Amino acid sequence: MELFLQRLVDGFSEGSVYALIALGLVIIYRGTGHLNFAQGEMALFSTYVVYQFGEWGIPIGIAVIMGMGVGFALGAVTEVAIVRPVSKKSPFAVFIVTIGLFQLLNWLDGAIWGGQQLPNTGVGSKQVRFPSLFPSKPTDFVTIFGANIKIQSLGVIALVAVLTVVLFTVFNHTRLGLAMRAVAANGESAKLVGIRTGRVLMASWGLAAAIGALGGVVFAGINTNVNLGLMFTVFIYASAAATLGGFDSPGGAVIGGFSIGLIQNMAAGYAPKWVGQEMKVGVAFLVMLGVLLFRPSGLFGSSRVERV
Amino acid sequence: MTLLRATGLTAGYGPVTVLDGIDIEVNEGEIVVVLGANGAGKTTMMRSISGTIPRQGIIEFEGRSIQKATTDSIVRGGIVQVPQGRGTFPELSVADNLLAGAFVRRDGTKAIEDDIAKWYSLFPRLGERAMQRAGSLSGGEQQMLAIARALMSRPKLLLCDEPSMGLAPLITRELFKVIERLNRDEGLSVLLVEQNANLAMRIASRVYLLETGVIVASGSAAELSADDSIRKAYLGF
Repeated sequence: MELFLQRLVDGFSEGSVYALIALGLVIIYRGTGHLNFAQGEMALFSTYVVYQFGEWGIPIGIAVIMGMGVGFALGAVTEVAIVRPVSKKSPFAVFIVTIGLFQLLNWLDGAIWGGQQLPNTGVGSKQVRFPSLFPSKPTDFVTIFGANIKIQSLGVIALVAVLTVVLFTVFNHTRLGLAMRAVAANGESAKLVGIRTGRVLMASWGLAAAIGALGGVVFAGINTNVNLGLMFTVFIYASAAATLGGFDSPGGAVIGGFSIGLIQNMAAGYAPKWVGQEMKVGVAFLVMLGVLLFRPSGLFGSSRVERV
Repeated sequence: MTLLRATGLTAGYGPVTVLDGIDIEVNEGEIVVVLGANGAGKTTMMRSISGTIPRQGIIEFEGRSIQKATTDSIVRGGIVQVPQGRGTFPELSVADNLLAGAFVRRDGTKAIEDDIAKWYSLFPRLGERAMQRAGSLSGGEQQMLAIARALMSRPKLLLCDEPSMGLAPLITRELFKVIERLNRDEGLSVLLVEQNANLAMRIASRVYLLETGVIVASGSAAELSADDSIRKAYLGF
């Protein structure tokens, strides 16, 4: 029971990071139909920026908010300067370009903060200690039903829960949210009712990257350090989460993220010989494969059936 | 009074010129119908007036040039287009579709909600389905929704791009009645492009014929249907 509870909470707190990255993927996919391969690396760049702010003596709480601002700017500039011109020529090329961006950002992180450069593996890259947003000393835990639950885990879950509620309020009850949903549903019609679709897409990419930045910071905090390979597996888990939840469903992304976190921690915990820590990524892959085979639109995604 | 005047309007896609210098006018209170076959440039004409594609020539609305204006300022100025093939927001509820239609308005929630209630009473089927996804409506209902959504911006000029497309004859007739009623009761001016000449000419104040990007004839519905060759080509009798 204690072990189960611990794994449950661990699963949820890791899952909340996947949920954040997956939310970013979904926001961009809904807006422009693109899969942003660089979502994880954009988050990592912002995480390094937050680390740098910390080095300059800025308190972590403020540094995170500033880092999310930097993330927003990075996402917005990416959309305006790179994605938009490329997608006018060829929508498919955007995917390739985001792969390039993935490489570029990782290289940039390495050049500025990483010490030695071993792009794409993370192996041997210099690790820098990263502060947690929440109390994370070995003694910072609460005991629930005999299980020692880290305060950090609870903090992370609460933070992500609050952010999710805020985001859903924005989606469903604000002008920006209405514009984002309209652009996602029908770009041309959105233009025709007077929505400046360019600005909405810019804001979508910015928002996705800002949410990703928070995800990166939270994960680096759990991980206690940041390195060049930090977001590789997270991105895979997040893709699995978005696939599971449905690529056009923000709610699905959150539930998918928590689910992947849980499945993965339970599998690694209860089947250590089969799965263990090393094979956790395999679980994500199996989930993706299963969803794509049996329910390609995901649990909450729309399969775009409509009457004409 | 002239509401919309386009002179030498030219537009196309990349190297292809679809619309080759047309002159067209809509006076206040008119229903102007542009007839043309597939590929004549009807939709391109609508897009170039709405500003969703680049265009050359002179376009004036209420005496002011809108040739360089962006779509959102054109909508704000009082021209709104009902896109071809309905073009609702299928994943959004009927109510949210209407709310999105009022996107450019700044006169407060109360006035917008009053308008939504008003269009629900004109289109009762929409009121009954307010919380349903627009994509679940029938074709005719979606076309009504697309028109109601356009009206939410309180336009002076409504651009209708082939509203009859894909609709049953009975529903098309009902639709044209609605357009006629909006014109009469709300003083809404309408520019409508159609292939369905018979129905459209019945409500038209004036008619233009568009063939491969050029206006080949214009006049009142009576004048045009008196012309033998036009009658044969467009009305089929």
